[in-house]
Amino acid sequence: MITGKVNIVSAALIALLASWASAHAESVRISQIDPSMLLFKQNVKVYVSVTDKVGAPVKSIGKEKFTVFESADGHAFKRIPAIKDFQTMANYEAGINFLLLIDNSGSMYLDMKQRLTRNPANMKFSHAKAAISTFLKSMTNPKDRVGLASYNSYYESFSDPVSDKEKLEGLLGHIRMPVGDEGHTEIYASLCRAVDEFRSVKGRKAILILSDGENRPYYKYAGKPHRDFGTKIYSYTEPIRDCQQEGISVFAINFGRGGERKDAHLKDIALNTGGALFDAGDGGELARVYSKIVGQILNEYLITYSATMDPADRKYVKIKYASGNGPIEAVRFYFSSTVFGLPLQWFSYLLLLPFIVALLLLWLLSRIRFERKKGAASIEVLNPGPARAVTKAFKLNKGHTIIGSSRSANMTIMSGLTQIKEKHATITFDSKKKRYTIVGDGDFKVNNKRVKTKVLESGDLINVGGATIVFDDGEVD
Amino acid sequence: MSSIKRRIFLCLVGLLAGLAAWPAAEITLLFQADFPSYLVFSIFLGAVFGIFIGAFFGSGDGVIMSHRRSIVTGVARGVFIGALGGAAGFFIGQAALFLTGEYLIHSMKRFSTVGMPVSRAIGWAVLGLFAGMVDGVRSRSGNKIRVGIIGGISGGFLGGLALEYFRTAYPETVFARLLGLLIFGLFIGLFYGFVEVRLSYGVLTLLNGRFKGREFLINQKKLRIGALEKNDIKLEGYHDVSDCHALVSVKKDDVFISPVADGRLLVNDDPVNEHMLKYEDVIKIGSAKLLYQYK
Repeated sequence: MITGKVNIVSAALIALLASWASAHAESVRISQIDPSMLLFKQNVKVYVSVTDKVGAPVKSIGKEKFTVFESADGHAFKRIPAIKDFQTMANYEAGINFLLLIDNSGSMYLDMKQRLTRNPANMKFSHAKAAISTFLKSMTNPKDRVGLASYNSYYESFSDPVSDKEKLEGLLGHIRMPVGDEGHTEIYASLCRAVDEFRSVKGRKAILILSDGENRPYYKYAGKPHRDFGTKIYSYTEPIRDCQQEGISVFAINFGRGGERKDAHLKDIALNTGGALFDAGDGGELARVYSKIVGQILNEYLITYSATMDPADRKYVKIKYASGNGPIEAVRFYFSSTVFGLPLQWFSYLLLLPFIVALLLLWLLSRIRFERKKGAASIEVLNPGPARAVTKAFKLNKGHTIIGSSRSANMTIMSGLTQIKEKHATITFDSKKKRYTIVGDGDFKVNNKRVKTKVLESGDLINVGGATIVFDDGEVD
Repeated sequence: MSSIKRRIFLCLVGLLAGLAAWPAAEITLLFQADFPSYLVFSIFLGAVFGIFIGAFFGSGDGVIMSHRRSIVTGVARGVFIGALGGAAGFFIGQAALFLTGEYLIHSMKRFSTVGMPVSRAIGWAVLGLFAGMVDGVRSRSGNKIRVGIIGGISGGFLGGLALEYFRTAYPETVFARLLGLLIFGLFIGLFYGFVEVRLSYGVLTLLNGRFKGREFLINQKKLRIGALEKNDIKLEGYHDVSDCHALVSVKKDDVFISPVADGRLLVNDDPVNEHMLKYEDVIKIGSAKLLYQYK
């Protein structure tokens, strides 16, 4: 039953195609900019599509018809003296990324004549699925990839562009009938969301939107702020701007066979983005859409030029095409920022001052030597370890110096893991031989060796109960 | 100098490196439109920037140790390595920036507040990587190069982010880039100092004499100790220290010390030929005593 209807609609649409080929001006569009060779070769590649007044690609245009301009601010454009390379059909090998954006509003669950039906096979949505299935089968380039999303009051994404068409067909079954206030038709807002999701995808991109009605914003018709868009009502110019910026063509299919109110601006969106509007929909129609897009890409022009060095975070490229009816232009930008960013707007010799200051300060730093001067003999806790050093440093007496846990010791170290005696070790000074000797009641180490007594040398390391103490005779030479 | 002082010095050297490199970078940027291509521009700007960053970071060890000769050789090698590293760093950084930037500019709505700073910070991280490596290449130490790479990338990325956000927050300030470069240098110094201690094989601390408390990180496989400037650890002002007295070497994470030629070497008051150091060993070289520890 569906197949029969499809054939009828298909035949009718061949005629309708002619109506699509209505009078609209010749246009030029930058579908993609590839600056990947900017650093290595200073090259920027620009993919340009030119369509005639009926939306068909204009073939065999000579290089001399194009002029390239570049601008650092989007206003003052500098003419590029020469086009380095000029080619056609350069983009076909990479395949095309499609996003199928399907109307899932309440009216898609009526029949093709806008009547209520309980039979799912008669619903427009079933026809749309069949049409999409035909579209997927018509794709001839295995490198093409397709993504899927639906819209009603809300935008819902089901898949990023993938090569597996069967998987995508399976995902169509995941689109569920809207309930409650989901049945509105946010066409413009959903197109903007679709562009957002499509931004990160590289290469040639096209959105196929299937719609059976006009834009009916949720906020306007439900009287409540939208979950995602709040009180914002999208204008049809917004998806046009976003698509032009990203080089995405919109191919719109007005789905259904009369009775529905068609959206007034879907055609503007399609034509201004280098796409086309088809005024009815079935599988045959969608297969033609595919051929049309491929045809358009096969006739894209690849212009390679040498970029300017003007500092800018993004550079605007303008392609001017000398058409029969006068020059027409397209503008797009690419990323051109440098690690350091934009230069200062002025120059002053004072710029040299920080360098001189830096040199001076470095010299001063190099003069800091942290040298000690000669002083009295002392012991100093280097690391208390598990113990607690009540006294951190002590100048040695000429008589006896006691190290221990007693508060009356000259250097008080409180016990940690290891027991420290009240008088754990004593350092005595021999005035005749002018030397210090350590003698212990408790267990201690000097220079990592367990000893009972030792004549101390400057720099000897005493370990008492895990605390390390340095002996220093105060000499510096 | 203690390790804390050493870290502070590294941060200061990093700050001064940023301060010195800023004018050179700004002057080069003023002439961007006169360069024939982004390739030549990136390499030239990177080399100029790298010369200053390399010279200052190269002098760091010498400045910390107050060794004039180390400063001079460090600066000379730093200039050379910095120029090469800066050119490579800017080239790779610019390529990374073009790649991420072109992707993010088309995929992010908040490109100017998120995409651009992150893209540039990636470029700065690559630059930091090369700046951090200068001292490791100078001393031909794999470990130091590793320290420099980690410290440089971390410092470069965070410094670059700080630079970009400062510039975003205060777009009218002409000194945004200067402040950013100071942060860039400071962060490299900070992270270098932090990672240096973490990845070192230990530390030798002077226990006596004129430079008591000075710490020497064991951050390369071989360290020479002696009286001359050419040594990695110069024992200046101590008696009976030979020109090149002892050698510290790292073998499979164990640290050994051995005398060079007929230098007398004591560990824990015992004469040794080759000795594997353990925690809190006390080394005596001439009149100098050094404590071995690891952190």
